[in-house]
Amino acid sequence: MVNMDDSQGIDRRAFVKAAVAIGGTAALSACLDHGASVDVPRGPEDPDAAFPERQYAWNAFLPTDEAGNNHHPRHRVLLALEYDGDTPTDAERETVAEALRGVERAYERSADGLLMTVSYSPYYFARFDDSLPESVDLPEPKPLASFEDPNPDDVDALIHLASDNAEVVLGAEEALKGEVEELNGVSQPSDSLLSAFSVRERRTGFIGEGLPAENQDVDGVPDSEPVSEDAPLYMGFESGFAGNQPGEDRVTIPDGPFADGTTQQLSFIQLNLQQWYEQDSRDQRVSKMFCPHHAATDTVEGTGENLGDDPQMDGCGDPAETGRTTGVVGHGQKMVDVREDDAPIILRRDFDSTDGGRASTHFLSLQREIADFVTTRDAMNGEAVSQNSAVGQRTNNGILQYLNVVRRGNFLLPPRSLRALPPANPEQAEEVVRVA
Amino acid sequence: MSRNSRREFLAGLGAAGVAGLAGCAGFSLESGTQEPPLVENPPNAVYYPTHTEGMLMAGMASDGAYNCALTYSYPHRFWTVTGTTTNKVEVSDDDSLHLMPIVWHAETGIVVPDVNPRMTVRRDGEQVVEISPWPMLSQQMGFHFGDNVQLPEQGKYDVTVSVGEPGSRRTGSLAGAGEAAFEFTVDYQRSALQEISYTDVPDAKQGTLGAVPPMGMEMMPSTTVPEPEQLPGTLVGTGQSGDAVLAATWLESAAAYGGEDGEPYLAVSPRTPYNRFTLPLMALSTTVTRDGEPVYDDVLTATVSPELNTHYGAALPSLESGDELTITVDAPPQASRHEGYETAFLGMEPVELTV
Repeated sequence: MVNMDDSQGIDRRAFVKAAVAIGGTAALSACLDHGASVDVPRGPEDPDAAFPERQYAWNAFLPTDEAGNNHHPRHRVLLALEYDGDTPTDAERETVAEALRGVERAYERSADGLLMTVSYSPYYFARFDDSLPESVDLPEPKPLASFEDPNPDDVDALIHLASDNAEVVLGAEEALKGEVEELNGVSQPSDSLLSAFSVRERRTGFIGEGLPAENQDVDGVPDSEPVSEDAPLYMGFESGFAGNQPGEDRVTIPDGPFADGTTQQLSFIQLNLQQWYEQDSRDQRVSKMFCPHHAATDTVEGTGENLGDDPQMDGCGDPAETGRTTGVVGHGQKMVDVREDDAPIILRRDFDSTDGGRASTHFLSLQREIADFVTTRDAMNGEAVSQNSAVGQRTNNGILQYLNVVRRGNFLLPPRSLRALPPANPEQAEEVVRVA
Repeated sequence: MSRNSRREFLAGLGAAGVAGLAGCAGFSLESGTQEPPLVENPPNAVYYPTHTEGMLMAGMASDGAYNCALTYSYPHRFWTVTGTTTNKVEVSDDDSLHLMPIVWHAETGIVVPDVNPRMTVRRDGEQVVEISPWPMLSQQMGFHFGDNVQLPEQGKYDVTVSVGEPGSRRTGSLAGAGEAAFEFTVDYQRSALQEISYTDVPDAKQGTLGAVPPMGMEMMPSTTVPEPEQLPGTLVGTGQSGDAVLAATWLESAAAYGGEDGEPYLAVSPRTPYNRFTLPLMALSTTVTRDGEPVYDDVLTATVSPELNTHYGAALPSLESGDELTITVDAPPQASRHEGYETAFLGMEPVELTV
């Protein structure tokens, strides 16, 4: 709960930052009371007609920076949901669909407004007699490195809310839970998501210049306040280079009943930045995040904004070779081999977090198949490099030493028309309600 | 050499003749930032450090194929290594302990360098520290993993140490070792830390070539490797590189090491001078020249075997008397260094040997 008296004393920016992590109607109303409410245009009357079938088609609705990199909405909420029923009914599907449309009518689909996806885990689909179609690769999550022991993210569904405005993600969350009758002047349906779901956990986060620095008073970050004001992420470097992201087409499921959907992988990763900032030098950090070549040639200035839209991984050389001759291999460098048509095969939509009072990352990625994520993570493990060089299993092996994967989850992000409690196999299921 | 406690040292009572004052009241060990000044202009070789330190053991545990001892001392400075560059890590005011999980293969007693332990420290069920400690080299302990950790207050902490699958080639019973996890309780009390021995190295000795002897650790294996003459197989010879000793031996059959029965197996065992500690996390390669013609030119694969401990080896098509071996250090040990090792094993020249 937000103490209104306390909130008056801190500046609006600091307050809004804290509000997303705190959540709830009190945080929302305090947020709105705290300063002039943000002026976000409303969404369309009929979102189903106006919005794309691909829920994750965000790029066209987001600005790009001067270098051409896609903007990442600064504030995030992940609502982890349990489905309360046995198997979904058509009435429940309509209620859920209407609740989702409610927030879409309230806020336009933009960085200032609201971007939203709804996804479902293998545990959700296990309740159906039918299996998922072969066109969908959605295994249960498992450990993806010999040294990790993550918990499975076994919630049923996950709603991802993103906006540059904290008030928008908070407002959308409260409306979806039925806590507000009106959102941005738009009346909300009387039956909320909670008619069908319970919220098991709310997860929050942020990405973008200033936010990691403002949030560095947490466990996992040394007290020296090492995270620079212009860093978009805790580790201090840019990451969403356009040259390091595939297009949305590459991650789209091409056929079958879930065509125009995608798969979503979500890892919760604790960061140990004591070692990163207090025990490594700047050159070591550049070596480990990018590659030793970039450190030796001072290629990276500050957060790496000087790299424009491309981290210039071509200059890094073969990871196995540099692992042997320089004793270190870069995180980005290890990923080069996984590229297809000179682009990665996973689309990163990750962000940092203070959940649990620790510096952490919700590593959220989209890919056509979960197998594409596994391939990418295999490359990140650098096992072959480590076995044949001076690089350790985790030491000097990219950024593995600083990451602890606490939880992994896999989700199907269905096309918009199937986003409300989809059956496992819509082609097999009778009388499926496509709500578009 | 005088023996006295850290408390006395930190109280500024000097090194000699103060043993009788142990236990002087009122001193509070707040941090280790009062470590003595480093040796000035140390040689690019193994040298005597300013002091030696004792340590305590929180306990020992077994799981799967491994044993683990959790040991600790007061926080101290060390150097991380990337390539041939070192980065000095000072003790910070917040550091509470230098925590070291020692994991060894129970059957062979070999301390395994190819699994990075993960360490989680909890207080009343609440996680306070979660780290992957650094691989390290120290003159008293040899190869180990460790790091300075920050604990919020004195008291008891539960520590979980876990290891995953091996990261390098292993042979024999070492190859079958899988995951393991170990539970410990550490009672963090500054008064107990203050009683850990602290021994000055005499001024005249500090910075001179040599090393303090390994700490005798009861019930714990050491990472000392055999004298070159005691290695299995036929010793080709030894050479010095970056102050390390590289001993090369060959076995008649490479069958146990991924080669064919008829192929000889060349093994290079690098070790520190004086204490003969194994040197993991290196990249080595070799060329074999016969009658002026190269007959082999490839990497030596980091391997842990029951017979040869940590070494770097390759199955060769053949090896004949008179063959010239060049062993090249592509990268020096990427283990963090304690005092006295931070200037050695960095710039490492090739070693030439004749069979």
